[in-house]
Amino acid sequence: MNAPAQAFGSWRHIFGSVVLAVVLEQFPWTGWALALRPDFVLVGVLFWVLYQPARIGFGVAFFLGLLADFQDGVVFGQHAIAYALGVYLVLFLRLRLLQFDPLRMAAQMFPVFLAVQLVVLLTGWLSINPPDNLAILLPVLGSTLLWYLLTGFLRLWHGKSLQDRT
Amino acid sequence: MAMPGQLMFVRSLGPNARLLIWLLVGVSFMVLDTRYQTLDGLRSGFSLALQPVRELLRAPSDVALELQGFFTRHRLLQNERDALLAERAHMQNQLNDAQSLARENAELRALLQLPARPGQHVVRAALLYQGHNWFAQRITLDQGAAAGLRGGLPVVDANGLVGQVSRVYPGSSEVTLVSDADQLTPVFIERTGQRGLAAGSGRNRMELRYMPAQTDIRRGDRLLTSGIDRVYPAGIPVARVTRVTRSQSSPYLRIESQPLAGLDRSQAVLVLVTEAQAVQP
Repeated sequence: MNAPAQAFGSWRHIFGSVVLAVVLEQFPWTGWALALRPDFVLVGVLFWVLYQPARIGFGVAFFLGLLADFQDGVVFGQHAIAYALGVYLVLFLRLRLLQFDPLRMAAQMFPVFLAVQLVVLLTGWLSINPPDNLAILLPVLGSTLLWYLLTGFLRLWHGKSLQDRT
Repeated sequence: MAMPGQLMFVRSLGPNARLLIWLLVGVSFMVLDTRYQTLDGLRSGFSLALQPVRELLRAPSDVALELQGFFTRHRLLQNERDALLAERAHMQNQLNDAQSLARENAELRALLQLPARPGQHVVRAALLYQGHNWFAQRITLDQGAAAGLRGGLPVVDANGLVGQVSRVYPGSSEVTLVSDADQLTPVFIERTGQRGLAAGSGRNRMELRYMPAQTDIRRGDRLLTSGIDRVYPAGIPVARVTRVTRSQSSPYLRIESQPLAGLDRSQAVLVLVTEAQAVQP
């Protein structure tokens, strides 16, 4: 199971493939080709995070995300945050992903890529249309407090104390 | 579970902590960029580093186009030549008209003692790159500050207005297309002369906003720049009206139009550089 993980992934391979991915994105893509163009850099980064997590991680992904932000002419940090999240998801699912054959692995990566794109969408929207203040988060505190009161009341109702006895 | 060759207990930050740190860094980048605009240096750096790569990668498609043109059949070229000759005769006619009009115009201007339009020259530029962006419609051109470009200049192609220069790097520049949702273009209806405000509404579409319900406008009308903003010269074709719908609930018409310039296909454009003070939008 671990043989392929050790067999390749020298610094030369990693650097070469990431540079190739960046170069591929610089083609003057237009029309349908642009719409369907895979995010070469993201695929490359997540691939190396999966097979060489000790060498490629959050820092590289973040920097390449900044590059993607420049390419699309958007706010710096939009793709960087999304790529960092992608790296986290791959690290989280790493042992699971390594067990699958390519087809199943691709199917498992689909939600990861989807999550990255959704984060790009969300952060881009927030950067263009920032909320006036953070008052929208106040109900979170209220809900947490209500949860404590509710569960505490039910425990007392059933004759137990509020804190677990250890 | 430890993998072979990996320590069971590694003394470093776990993925959760790292993610949190990088998220904070990312958010601070976003704040620095949107609130304080302090990261333009980084943008210029990326632009300088990627410019040669992009110039180089444009070559294969240029070569392909050249080859395609070379093998175009002779017959087609003949047809095209005939059509072009006919068109030239027609244009010559129009040019004569235009020249007499220009002369008349100059005389009238002299009569009115209006300031002539300040010296204007054009910079030829080519499409260098187009990125994915859900929230804005932008393209990158291969001319920048070195060619005298600056933010706010209008960009046109053979068919009409393309957009406005929004960011300038040393050797390249970003253009916000007229179809961008935040891009407003003051226009007038060619047929009636009524002025209005055209806004982008996404990929290759525009809408004419705030036209009262009794406005005389119909499908096929052309919209030209009105020039009242002193950014765009007057009379550049912008869009053609594709649909006019009346709404019961709104006092305004809903007017959809399609930009005349080849926003998603033009390879070569012109940037109109005015020497006089241009008003920044």
